[in-house]
Amino acid sequence: MNQFLRSLSPTEQVAALFLIVFGLLVIVSTTVFFLSFKERRNPVHDESWQAELAHVRALLGTTWFMVIVFWIGWALGETVATVLFALISFFALREFITLSPTRRGDHRSLILAFFVVLPIQFWLVATARFDLFTVFIPVYVFLAIPVASALANDPSHFLERNAKLQWGIMVCVYGMSHVPALLLLTFPGYEGKSAFLVFFLVFVVQTSVLVQHLISRRMQRTPFAPNVSRSFNWTSWGIGIVVASLVGALFSFITPFKFGQALAVSIIACVAGSMGHLVMKALKRDRGIPNWGQKGVGVTGANGLLDRVDALCFAAPIFFHSIRWYFNV
Amino acid sequence: MLAKLTGWLLLGIVRLLTGAQARWYGCPPKAEQRIYFANHQSHADLVMIWAALPEELRSITRPIAARDYWANTPVKRWITTEVFNAVYVERAATAPAAAAAPVAPPPPEVRPPAASNAPAERIEPSMEPLLPIETITVAEAPQEIQGQLDLPAPPPPPPPVAPPPVIEPDAPVAAPEPPAADPLAPLIDALRSGDSIIIFPEGTRGHTGEPQKFKSGLYVLATMFPDVVLVPAWIDNVQRVMPKGEIVPVPILCSVTFGAPIRVEDGEERRPFLDRARAAVIALRDV
Repeated sequence: MNQFLRSLSPTEQVAALFLIVFGLLVIVSTTVFFLSFKERRNPVHDESWQAELAHVRALLGTTWFMVIVFWIGWALGETVATVLFALISFFALREFITLSPTRRGDHRSLILAFFVVLPIQFWLVATARFDLFTVFIPVYVFLAIPVASALANDPSHFLERNAKLQWGIMVCVYGMSHVPALLLLTFPGYEGKSAFLVFFLVFVVQTSVLVQHLISRRMQRTPFAPNVSRSFNWTSWGIGIVVASLVGALFSFITPFKFGQALAVSIIACVAGSMGHLVMKALKRDRGIPNWGQKGVGVTGANGLLDRVDALCFAAPIFFHSIRWYFNV
Repeated sequence: MLAKLTGWLLLGIVRLLTGAQARWYGCPPKAEQRIYFANHQSHADLVMIWAALPEELRSITRPIAARDYWANTPVKRWITTEVFNAVYVERAATAPAAAAAPVAPPPPEVRPPAASNAPAERIEPSMEPLLPIETITVAEAPQEIQGQLDLPAPPPPPPPVAPPPVIEPDAPVAAPEPPAADPLAPLIDALRSGDSIIIFPEGTRGHTGEPQKFKSGLYVLATMFPDVVLVPAWIDNVQRVMPKGEIVPVPILCSVTFGAPIRVEDGEERRPFLDRARAAVIALRDV
């Protein structure tokens, strides 16, 4: 099996990976579909069971959506993939700004963020201008945004408003733009397979978040920072990191890393991702909302997007820089 | 064809920028004849509520547009008629009158019905700082007087079907200006032909969160067409997308919440009804 997979060309390997993922998803979705016919005798149990199922279905829906997005991105090439991530970043930033009150004086800065900074950042990524795209936002944009705000002649809450906007750009644009940037890294002997790197990152980070979530539900530990997250505690966090890193290390064969290296970068990505998740939870708490996205049912499908990608937004830049620095690619 | 394409393009842009979510609380989206009445915060309100309606309803629902703003260039006129299928109302005639005579009771009386359309757009982007204040004071003051004056007089319970007589109860008070062109007439025509309409009964775009007092046009229409369902709607967040004076919109999620229909109770007076309608709109803010 392994030998067979190795004999395939990189493109075929990626295709096989997607086939496996889609196959797994089909199996899980069908199982859940048939499970929904099952009735519990006790009506109370039945209700909670149905609620649980609905939750799982929602999760599955998101997973399908993400996998299909990745698949389209890979199938249509790097440029399309970058555009896709730019769109995701746009929707995430839209959600972030919606829930962070802005004033009239912020309007020009917002235009700058959405219609100038975001396109330029992703254009820099698409054209592989590594030197510029890693500093464009932290250096140039972060100094330009307050200037635009100051010119709007509204000093009230000036620092807060700018910090909000800069933070939104940092997470939603800067963080997200590092995901497609992985596609452009060229490891020697690893050409054409950078899609695996993206898959690796997303997979490992999501695993750690998911395992933490499940574990903290099973074993009720006292939360470490109850005002921020009622589920976060060091035990489940540690287990999540360990499990996800081991899984990442096992998947080292799809990456250019050796076992130990894969373990190390997995740990880095997981710690960054889970901490990012925690930070975004604190932001949500500050806004007094349980999750990002407009209350109610969404028409655009973009609702709660930030909840799905926040861990990734934190993990991607750190993952990117650490491997770029270490491997010197 | 071109209109349809433009409509789709516009819809795409609005969805991309605002999400244009419709939240139906209190009533389902349904193809019955309705008057949607909503709070008014921004130019984009009209587009927003149009985009939030489902496709099937969009074609039978006509927003109100002020002719002097929306028909003053060929492009705007084309978009409002072909894409939005809007109903034009005149407000040019009434606005100067208001400005001219903020003082006395006699002339302003004609306005109340007119006032209900003026809401559709009060847009003078260039003169931002002055205009709103002016319009509010001018428009509100006579409105007050009007309400009081009317209380004793109007109840000749509006004859339900025949429209021309109904305009009378309001008009006669204002003898001097004969119902030059009744500003409500286009709306009445639209309703009589079976379309639903979208109106903004506030008069001006508010700059505070609370909608201002409702003008009486809603009451007039409601009593004239007792069978038409009155649906309150709250448009949320649009003022952030494009504040007054800005021309480039910013992407921020917005929503339109539709509430439970209300109706004019038997013998209900104008002011209590309008206050109740306003409360119904405000109540949707926190749903």
